Amino acid sequence: MLDSATLGVASGELIVVEGSTAAGKSTLLEVAALARTPDRGAVWFAGRNTVALQPASLPYVRRNIGYAAAEPLFEPEHSVLDNVMLALAVRGDSPSVAETAAREALTLVHASELAARKVGSLSSGQKRLVALARAVAGPPPVVIADEPAALGGEEGRAVAVSALSAARSLGAAVLCGTSDTALADRLVRAGGRRIHLAKGYIVGAPPVDLVPSVAAVAGRREEPGGRIIALRSHRGEGVMEGATKGPR
Amino acid sequence: MRAVWIARSVREQVRDHRLLVFAAILAFCLLALAAGAAWLGTQTAARWRTFVGQNVHVIVYLADNVERERALGLAEILGRASTVAEATVVEPETAFARLETSAFGSGVARTSLESLEPSYFPRSIEIQLVPAADLAGRAAELAGRLREVPGVVQVDAMTSGLARLSVWIDLGRRLGEGMLAALALVTFASLMAVFLRSRRAARQRSMVLAQLGDTAASIRLPMCLWMAVAALVGGAAGAALLRFGWRPLLSHVERSLGIVSTLPLPLLGLRDLGIGLAIVLLFGLVLGYFATPLARARDHA
Repeated sequence: MLDSATLGVASGELIVVEGSTAAGKSTLLEVAALARTPDRGAVWFAGRNTVALQPASLPYVRRNIGYAAAEPLFEPEHSVLDNVMLALAVRGDSPSVAETAAREALTLVHASELAARKVGSLSSGQKRLVALARAVAGPPPVVIADEPAALGGEEGRAVAVSALSAARSLGAAVLCGTSDTALADRLVRAGGRRIHLAKGYIVGAPPVDLVPSVAAVAGRREEPGGRIIALRSHRGEGVMEGATKGPR
Repeated sequence: MRAVWIARSVREQVRDHRLLVFAAILAFCLLALAAGAAWLGTQTAARWRTFVGQNVHVIVYLADNVERERALGLAEILGRASTVAEATVVEPETAFARLETSAFGSGVARTSLESLEPSYFPRSIEIQLVPAADLAGRAAELAGRLREVPGVVQVDAMTSGLARLSVWIDLGRRLGEGMLAALALVTFASLMAVFLRSRRAARQRSMVLAQLGDTAASIRLPMCLWMAVAALVGGAAGAALLRFGWRPLLSHVERSLGIVSTLPLPLLGLRDLGIGLAIVLLFGLVLGYFATPLARARDHA
């Protein structure tokens, strides 16, 4: 459960939300990915509060977010490649562009050999790896990953760090949640900023450069370029700020 | 989602759910058969009613000494009765000619009729009654009265034939209604099965696409399209079966019932086919629309 959280993430920024089990990480990420509606608060994206958007407008926002959930949804009877391509299809890419991007993303997470396999035949860890590839394929303006070190161990961490760093280097705003301190350390070493979440609250002082973002969102004043994603959740608020294409 | 992806999605759904697509085609074929059979059945019932109404129900045979003028006068008086639709005098020559035509038509050798002369046939009056439910009763009642008229030697009320025909027609109608009801039930069950199975098949894809940010219209469109095509194919198959199968079937039934009518057999016209197929196509689109369950954009995680 998420109680009070305020955070923002800008284009080319990587934020690691670290916390133990049941700290509220997944809830925070689901709210940020527009997969869950906060009981109260707001989620700002490209200058719009998505909580107040008409349901019919939400898909145009959601397609700009690559979300690797802890329990990702797939079409199990379709191939891994088709499933990754589907995210790019929704964004409007042509089949050839989508296939190229999907193969690149699978290579990035060291899963290119899984491309032709049906998702239904994969292990849980492999599915999460494919979910990570689908989230970073493109990449979309915002990438959100919940426990991305699917395979575990150093190899799993290395894959997650390289995939998320690559997305970040291409301009995506990256938000990653994990309870794995070693992964969080590696992401911080790769240029990420760490936020601790405990019992639904962000603990400790937030990073200094987050404060102006919060102020900007609280006053609903957009930064030049109008690229803001923000969230405020139940009994608190969170802010997420990043580069987006914005809703059509 | 671009059109090329929609087309790809349609192809994938058809490939992944071949059995479901086949079942959908079959269900729409049944739907077309049920609707078309109901339509044609109504026209057939009207045709049979007309046939019974147009038949000669009473024949009055006159004595040899009854002159043509008297026969015509008698026919005119009978024609004024409220229960009589038409009363016609049949001359011996006409009766003989009819016998020849009917005998040769059924393969009787010409030589067997050579010994007969038209004068052997009595002058008669053929009476056609106004169509009514108790036609046989009315014919019997009229025949009873006519037997008392001087110059009348014999009256054939044809009540047994009428009663038998009515029973057969009634049986045929009931049988048709029963078969139609069974067909409608099977059609409904088939369409419901297709609908529920389609919903189950589409649920996962719908959830995935909703999470990825696809619009409701785009999520629904592929199933609407393939369901509409299935409806068109199934509907066309059902309509073709009726168009080419109904007339031979009806001819067979009418032959076995002894119905010989000059009225044209009912047929699904091109206009009927066009309207029917348009309705089935629309039905397919609607079924495809509602068979795609939409995961809510939020709260499915």
